[in-house]
Amino acid sequence: MAEVWSDEELLARLAVALAAAKDVPPEFVAAARAAFTMDDIDIELAQLVHDSHLSAEPQSLTRAEPASLRTLTFVSAGLTIELEVTGLQLLGQLVPPQEAEVHVQERSGQDAVRTTDKVGFFTIQPIPAEPFRLHCRTPGGLNVLTTWITL
Amino acid sequence: MTDAPAVTALVIRAREGDQDAWNELVDRYAPLVWSICRRYGLARSDIDDVAQNVWLRAVGQLKALREPAALPGWLATTTKHECSRVFRARRRQEGTEQPLDFEMTPDDESKLIEQELEAAERNATLRAAFAELSSTCQRILLLRIEGVPYEEISTRLGMSIGSIGPTRARCLEKLRANPALVALMTTESSRSEQYG
Repeated sequence: MAEVWSDEELLARLAVALAAAKDVPPEFVAAARAAFTMDDIDIELAQLVHDSHLSAEPQSLTRAEPASLRTLTFVSAGLTIELEVTGLQLLGQLVPPQEAEVHVQERSGQDAVRTTDKVGFFTIQPIPAEPFRLHCRTPGGLNVLTTWITL
Repeated sequence: MTDAPAVTALVIRAREGDQDAWNELVDRYAPLVWSICRRYGLARSDIDDVAQNVWLRAVGQLKALREPAALPGWLATTTKHECSRVFRARRRQEGTEQPLDFEMTPDDESKLIEQELEAAERNATLRAAFAELSSTCQRILLLRIEGVPYEEISTRLGMSIGSIGPTRARCLEKLRANPALVALMTTESSRSEQYG
């Protein structure tokens, strides 16, 4: 077998390894542990696939139109959630259109329920100030959670 | 270089809903996610958002991954991708469009991820081996790492000066005997022979 690390080398590498873990803030680790929401194992995650603020086109400096509204699109296998940020409220649309319960979960743990109309439209007002996510459940059995949203 | 048996076992347990296994995975790889985010110089709130998305998606990946040992690689790639997305968005918001430091060829990028992963695996294996030592061993090695002289270690731990050297040597022996660490040292030394 090729020569393994000397004692000094081993200690030096151990020091690096321990320091790397110490650098990580404890609440960063706690948040990661909390991501394990296995109490709801059938939940499906909806990914952010479009955010008009993060889109690739550079903002034009000589825009004649008023700034367009921010739109976000979350997609899971069975459901697409479209959001539009207006001045005071958040407009939501489920695609395909269907009735659902929409939970607005804030990071603090606060949870408010909205019910969509028959064609999957809902509003959230006021716009949450802290990061939040949406949890949609439909009578048809869809159970979809978005990633965290910061507006 | 991945401690594949350990990771595979943890992923399989987590897949079945074992929170402890998930916590161990997080402890193992949170430093990896953190260090990649730090390299992008992201603000703390952005780092938290990136990490939250990465870990939530990782929970979904537990079931989707055909090869459980691929989780660390998936974590590194996804974190990098998310950081890069947020980084560009912030630069655009600031109106700075100059080329990024992180504009690399795909080859460079995969090499860098490979290095991050290697370091993360090495560190995780070392920490896991260290955690299995007796508390006396842990304290002696920690004090040596901090460069504390033998006299002071002797006072702090209530041991005779003469016994510290031999105890330290025994502790290092125990550390070296850790199977995962043995595997790691063997791989790394054979690789350096091959390429170095």
